Amino acid sequence: MRPRTSHIILVAATLVAILILAAHATTPILYTAENISTAAHADPATIKKRSPGDAASLIPLMDELLDQTGTLTLTIKLKDYESAERDLAHYTALSNRFDRLVITLDVSDTDIGEFQQMNRQNLDSLTTLLDDSRRLDDLKRLEIEVRGDDGRHTAVVYEGEALRQKMHQGFSTYAERVPAMSRIAENYEINTTTYQESTEHFAEAAEAADTWRKETGGKTPPSPLSINLTPTEGSYGDVIRISGTHLSSKVPVEIYVDSRLAKTTTPDDSGHYVCSYRIGKILAGLHLVYATAGPAYSDVRTFTALPGNTTLTLTLEEVSQATVACTGALMTGDRPVTGAPVVLRLDDTKLIEARTDENGTYTKKIALSAGDHTIRAEFHGAGFPLNPSESETETYHVSGDLPSPLPIIAGTAALLGTVWYLRRRHQREVTPEKARLETAQESPEGEEEKRELPAIDIRGLDPRDAATVLFHALRARLGIPATKTPRDCAEISPAHARFFERYEKIRYAGETPTDEELRWMEGEARGDEHAT
Amino acid sequence: MRSSGGWKEKHEVMNMQRETWALLIILLIASAAAFAHATTTIEEYSRHNIGWNGTSNLGLEEIHDLSKIPTGATLLILAPEKPFTEEEVDCLRALLDGGGEIIIADKEGFVNPLLTALGSPLRVLPGNLSSLERDHADPRIFRARVTGNATLFAGIETLLVNHPAMIQGGVPLLETSLLAWDDTTGDGRPGGTESFKRRAICAREGNITALGDPSLFINAMLPENPELIKNLRGHPVLIDAVHSRTGTRNPIINTLTWIQATPLARAAIAVLAILPVAYLFGRKRE
Repeated sequence: MRPRTSHIILVAATLVAILILAAHATTPILYTAENISTAAHADPATIKKRSPGDAASLIPLMDELLDQTGTLTLTIKLKDYESAERDLAHYTALSNRFDRLVITLDVSDTDIGEFQQMNRQNLDSLTTLLDDSRRLDDLKRLEIEVRGDDGRHTAVVYEGEALRQKMHQGFSTYAERVPAMSRIAENYEINTTTYQESTEHFAEAAEAADTWRKETGGKTPPSPLSINLTPTEGSYGDVIRISGTHLSSKVPVEIYVDSRLAKTTTPDDSGHYVCSYRIGKILAGLHLVYATAGPAYSDVRTFTALPGNTTLTLTLEEVSQATVACTGALMTGDRPVTGAPVVLRLDDTKLIEARTDENGTYTKKIALSAGDHTIRAEFHGAGFPLNPSESETETYHVSGDLPSPLPIIAGTAALLGTVWYLRRRHQREVTPEKARLETAQESPEGEEEKRELPAIDIRGLDPRDAATVLFHALRARLGIPATKTPRDCAEISPAHARFFERYEKIRYAGETPTDEELRWMEGEARGDEHAT
Repeated sequence: MRSSGGWKEKHEVMNMQRETWALLIILLIASAAAFAHATTTIEEYSRHNIGWNGTSNLGLEEIHDLSKIPTGATLLILAPEKPFTEEEVDCLRALLDGGGEIIIADKEGFVNPLLTALGSPLRVLPGNLSSLERDHADPRIFRARVTGNATLFAGIETLLVNHPAMIQGGVPLLETSLLAWDDTTGDGRPGGTESFKRRAICAREGNITALGDPSLFINAMLPENPELIKNLRGHPVLIDAVHSRTGTRNPIINTLTWIQATPLARAAIAVLAILPVAYLFGRKRE
């Protein structure tokens, strides 16, 4: 095969091989699968092993929360307040754990989120029931002690009446939630018997106030302290005007919302008092309001906090290479929501808490590792008469740290050192003989003559011996080792191949050189340019 | 000077030998690469697909003619994509009447007309079934609980499923937890109109079992559920090669498969391979 033909075939075969491989490069059957998924399924080996949270404990926790209401109401009904305190603490701890789990699992927008809101309201109701039941027992004892003291007795009766009304309202709101909570619980195959029983226990605890009222005469004279609410419903940020009169004195009037002191005001000369209550961090639904002025208790009034929708924004701003500032605002309509917890969900799993200021804005700096990250702000509405909301999911890229220049410098130095070492080693490995050969081959012919050569004298010698002398002379002039045969010499020095081939025939085939050939050979051996 | 030309020729001959070897090696590598590419595929569920989404490691026997199913056999219809003719439905009916079983693994609802034709109340309901109780970031890869008695799931408590479909009707054999939802919005999060509910992924009615996850049989899933595969291999189960997606559209593979299955073709190939060798030997001797 001709060299050119073989080259053409070689190039063609290489091109064909590259084309075949390139055609299949887009369908990497031979490569290891990585992050591969199709419409039908995903390769589980390439999907990150990451659980959204302890989902398995969610339903058992719901079950336990409902059971706890039964236990707590029973101990309250039985007036075992010490046990009730323990049960309430346990119930509170469970509720907090459940709240965290709902946020972690990101299920606020489901019926489990609805269950969580109602459970929070139940916790509030039962906390109030425990306080009211205790106070009722105190009043019962006090009423016996102050019999005969009309003034103090009347005050006790007024407070008892206020308490009775409060407990009845509390029971109504608690009972209203039972069907909805039971429905959700039954969806998750939770037995609601204990929860249903808690309603009966609650009713019996509230009825204790009715029984006492009957025991104390069954009548309560009109209270000297009146109370009115305007309006009786409102959303977050709305103001409820609380007003009334206190006929007997100018003592300060304390306003209680859900048994917690909300405002203190002083009536004017005519005994008229007025104050405002802004709906803030209270749960949506019915709330109880009453006033006290010294021993006087007003009737119990209610207002409804209506749930409102919210909007939440999120903006990411770079602080440093690996830190990002998350800022945004939580609004309901055009009102800012203040002091509200905002959860920043990082990469769908990690939760970071921020809080809104008086303008409804929040800021949180987050340190991020190198790579792409997703961040979403969420408001879960816990404790506010507001519906949950969340921002758009934002992505943020943190570029990896630049590598230290030290390893690069060290690597480059090592590479250069290796190259230098290998070159030196290669040079050393070249044998002196070969070096001489290379020098002989590469040196110009003019320099060959400068080499000190022994004098060539073939006079009087046999032609074949003369040829041998000339062979040795040429071999020495070319610097070819004496161990090399004429054939080796021809291979080493193709320029004198004709001389060596002729000598090979003289030496080994027994041919005798002519005088003319000897002269030519002598010329070659001497390096005569005109030798032919 | 002619002798000098001889040495050059010798050099050229040596160079040519080196080039020939290089050429042969390149051609060998190219041929091997071409053969590897040409005889495999990336088609979903294909038994010729050696990748993660193929069924090359499933190792179940195939049947290419439904009229030849042995009486009392168990037939696995895996991710079917072709409709069943009247005659084929009759064959399946005969199989069921003879005490045989049919396991239909489908997540796209292609088998619903067949189930109707067989008079089964089972239906495959495609969707984005997801679960909150999972170990993977993908909400559609999760563990399902074995809730019914079946040879297929003997000795198994849970199975890792991969983007399964729901099964309606029949007696549930494999179910999600209560915290599963159909992710209609596709955002991977529950909420809105999506409600948590326990769903069946596999159900049985008579001798028909509908499994909403044919992905259980792909190469990547075999190590996840080894007991299931052990049960299948021990049962033994035949795969319907006519309708299942375990075949391929690759003409080279289909030709090779045909040659392997046809004795005459095999003999012809053997003759074609031997003839040039024999010719070369004969020429050398001359």
